[in-house]
Amino acid sequence: MDLKFPADLKYAPTHEWVRMDGDIATVGISDYAQHKLGDIVYVELPEIGAVLEKGNTACEIESVKAVSELFMPLTGEIVETNGNIADNPAFVNSSPYGEGWIMKIKVSNPDEIKNLLSVEKYQELIEKEED
Amino acid sequence: MTSNLTLIFNKGTKRSQHNFIPEMDIDKVDLLKIIPSSFQREDLPLPDIPEVKIVRHYTELSRKNYGIDSGIYPLGSCTMKYNPKINEVITRLPAFFQIHPLQEENQGALELIHQLSELLIEITGMDGFTFQPAAGAHGELTGILIMKKYFENKNLKKNKILIPDSAHGTNPSSAKMAGFSIIEVRSNDAGEIPLDHIEFAMQQGDVAGIMLTNPNTLGIFDRQIKDITNIIHKYGGLCYYDGANLNPMLGICRPGDMGFDIIHLNFHKTFSTPHGGGGPGSGPVGVIKELVPYLPGPHIIATEQEFVCREKTNNSIGRIKCFWGNFGVIVRAYAYILALGAEGLKRVGQMAVLNANYLRVLLKEKYHLPYDRICQHEFVLSDRGIPNEVTTEDIAKRILDYGLYAPTIYFPLIVKGALMIEPTETESKASLDNFVNVMNKIYNEAKTAPELLKNAPHNTPVKRLDAVLAARNPILHD
Amino acid sequence: MDFILHDKETIAEMLTSIGVNSLEELFQDIPADLLLKKLNLPHGLSEPDLLRRLEELSHKNKIYSSSFLGAGCYYHYIPSLVDFVISLSGFYTAYTPYQAEASQGYLQAIYEYQTAITRLTQMDVTNASMYDGSTALAEAAIMATVATQKKKLILLEGIHPEYVEVVKTYCWGQDIHFEIVMEDTLISKLDESVAAVLFQSPNFFGDIENVTELVQIIRDKAPKCLVVQVMTDPTCLGVLKPPGKFDIDIFVAEGQSFGISPSFGGPGLGIFASKQKYLRKMPGRLIGKTNEIDGEREGFILTLQTREQHIRREKATSNICTNQALCALASLIYLVSLGKTGLQEIALQNFQKSHYVKQKLATIPGYQILNKKPTYNEFLVKCPNVNELIEQCKQENLLPPLIISKYFPDMKDIVLVCVTESNSREDIEKFIHAAQKASNKNIGGN
Repeated sequence: MDLKFPADLKYAPTHEWVRMDGDIATVGISDYAQHKLGDIVYVELPEIGAVLEKGNTACEIESVKAVSELFMPLTGEIVETNGNIADNPAFVNSSPYGEGWIMKIKVSNPDEIKNLLSVEKYQELIEKEED
Repeated sequence: MTSNLTLIFNKGTKRSQHNFIPEMDIDKVDLLKIIPSSFQREDLPLPDIPEVKIVRHYTELSRKNYGIDSGIYPLGSCTMKYNPKINEVITRLPAFFQIHPLQEENQGALELIHQLSELLIEITGMDGFTFQPAAGAHGELTGILIMKKYFENKNLKKNKILIPDSAHGTNPSSAKMAGFSIIEVRSNDAGEIPLDHIEFAMQQGDVAGIMLTNPNTLGIFDRQIKDITNIIHKYGGLCYYDGANLNPMLGICRPGDMGFDIIHLNFHKTFSTPHGGGGPGSGPVGVIKELVPYLPGPHIIATEQEFVCREKTNNSIGRIKCFWGNFGVIVRAYAYILALGAEGLKRVGQMAVLNANYLRVLLKEKYHLPYDRICQHEFVLSDRGIPNEVTTEDIAKRILDYGLYAPTIYFPLIVKGALMIEPTETESKASLDNFVNVMNKIYNEAKTAPELLKNAPHNTPVKRLDAVLAARNPILHD
Repeated sequence: MDFILHDKETIAEMLTSIGVNSLEELFQDIPADLLLKKLNLPHGLSEPDLLRRLEELSHKNKIYSSSFLGAGCYYHYIPSLVDFVISLSGFYTAYTPYQAEASQGYLQAIYEYQTAITRLTQMDVTNASMYDGSTALAEAAIMATVATQKKKLILLEGIHPEYVEVVKTYCWGQDIHFEIVMEDTLISKLDESVAAVLFQSPNFFGDIENVTELVQIIRDKAPKCLVVQVMTDPTCLGVLKPPGKFDIDIFVAEGQSFGISPSFGGPGLGIFASKQKYLRKMPGRLIGKTNEIDGEREGFILTLQTREQHIRREKATSNICTNQALCALASLIYLVSLGKTGLQEIALQNFQKSHYVKQKLATIPGYQILNKKPTYNEFLVKCPNVNELIEQCKQENLLPPLIISKYFPDMKDIVLVCVTESNSREDIEKFIHAAQKASNKNIGGN
């Protein structure tokens, strides 16, 4: 497996990645998560304006034979979603950190950010899961 | 590029078809006097197709489809057995086929339903049946709603239900439709239910009971079944039996004796009614005496002179389907039970288990058998040890190339890369040997020519189809 | 009678291969006290004996020369090729088409069914079928509550009473509330908390609703509320404007009229169609068209399966698994056999013949047609003497109309009459004659 994990991102143990820009967090799923899911056929985007707590289900991601949930890595309000992946869910496979981003959250509790995993810690976690 | 497909809609002609329209033998009035033009449609985009073209089109399609009349259909948990042809004649007897559900002179139909109920009571060890549910999952919903009503009447708040991880997907889904939340029970290494887990769950006080299939989806009869039902009953719970796997128990062991309170049957599995490519089925529900008043009405009661129906009782969960259920299917099941009789039904149970075990011992020589013990109606192989990263799906597709149908794949979920095999009692030894030969050949091909499997099937009307494309860009009609 | 192939020697040989000494050993996991000693059932029957026995039983049901009973189950002529085609063993004896490449015939046929229903109804998408009209309506009700995240439903008076009961049972299971309202109070009951309004048209009493007006009322008062239409005899769509043209959100129907014998009320066919935007919330199977992975040919496959119970388990849109595939096939063959010309003509004949009977009855003393709205093939008649009418019909070997007080005890002396293309002029005259005699008797008797 030749999976990529950008060092400038933070990761949640449930395989979401987070890119912070001020108090806005861009969220997607990691290369590992998209690889595990296989060809993604549908993303049910979360509702803009919804305020959700960390750990809540934000939306569902579907492959042909499986459904998995995307959890809120941080508490906040959903302010934007990636409409492109509604028509082209394949972006989540081909470019999980770029065109395949899923949503932006206005973070309401910045303290939570430091609980996210660094790239090193996240890769350790994956190795454990693979065992 | 022209398509390889021709849909029936492309076979229309300009000549309009009148074959099936009776002559109009009364004086017509202007239609606008009956119905305003704003209520009328402008266009009806269906073609006129000559009868000959229709029959040829569908005869051709039927040839592009495997059926139990083609050969072995080893789908696990589906019990694809031979469908006796006499049942088709019987269900089409005019005084069954042409009667209206609301007509008064229906004593034959009521008697049939009542008699079938008596036969099933003996076969399953329950005390009463409803025939309204149209399929297995519909029966599950009915049974679980009975559970819900039972506890509501007792003013007990029990909104959780135990379901093993090996259960059919319909079990949790049906329970959810009745408002229950699900506690998943993890099977132990022997594929059975750990008693301490269910005891602990029942102690919490909010668990209504358990949904089980026994033998389970691994084909294993849970040796502690009596202990399981005893524990559930000790805490006032109810035990639901998913009858999808009843076939090997016919004449051998009854769910009622195992301690179950509510069961559903699948006539389109155990009782030989044709599956028809996905229905119509019939999923009657049987219950113990205490729960009989909870069944959906109308209840058929035999008096000395005639059969009467009582619309519904106070405790009934209410209707689950219009009219009487899938009567046409019910007639076939009744005919099947009468044809086989006591000895015939027991023979079904025995031969179903003999055939499954015969395949099991022959196939485990090459394939991994995670639960290696005597099975009942079915058993589950895994993809472990298959060479060259060949997957379960690849094997399934390659089986099609040999002119056979594939087992159930990737189920139960507790076996990775599962191949779930149920031959049923209506296969000959030669047919089973042929299946083993094909499976062994495929194993060797996985070793020597894996590409042959990864690109399979090759001999079917189409090659492997793109499920990802179908889901990303759904085209659901022309 | 049995369908076993092994002789004694084969059984012995197979037991040896397995490594056990007897059939009993195969059941070693079953505790001894649970093993059944003997099934207390009769001996099996041979085919001729079985047939004789069931023929005798069937004769305890009566078949009539013609029917004036509908109420959710209808007599329409079924072309002979329908039963011939569905009996082809590639269809009849197949399982659900899990292995698409070995099931292309059935998959294509059901794709054609989805196409035929979509064209007939002008809805965006149709599923591969539900159990029947009543359960399709219940599933539509649940789907509407999921799509809107609201738990309140309004049922308009006039839905088949058994359908209402089924909806009630399903709703109770999921804690969904509903209310049955009369048309004139609908506006006052509508607000933002309502997930959907469910209505039947033509309704149980025969009335064809002004759907344009009805939808407008709902959209004006509760824009997010879904509109669900149910129909028990969709042959009317040969003439009537289809639900897709009325902005209906979910359309369901009982498809028995399309080539399926009455068979004491089952099996029938649950037709289920909706707008594209609710596709992911739809229950039941869907067949899609796709391409070969490594080729150029097109084919068909079960798709969007993540909605279904075998993948999503307790989160599935419905628990339905087995549906009514063969009945869907029958209805497809019916629709293509009749074609555009036939469907239009059948609907016309139903309109004309029932209109004719209505007119005739209205001239007989004591009879009154109660419908104020246009009707299709069913209508309500107030009678001078209901029991006498039923009796006279039976004497003419006619299946009598429904006495409506079976479902609505307050509606006395009223029958629901059904007239279809299957009633010949002669049958109709007999029925009129029966009504006349019942009227005479009543007048004479008083």
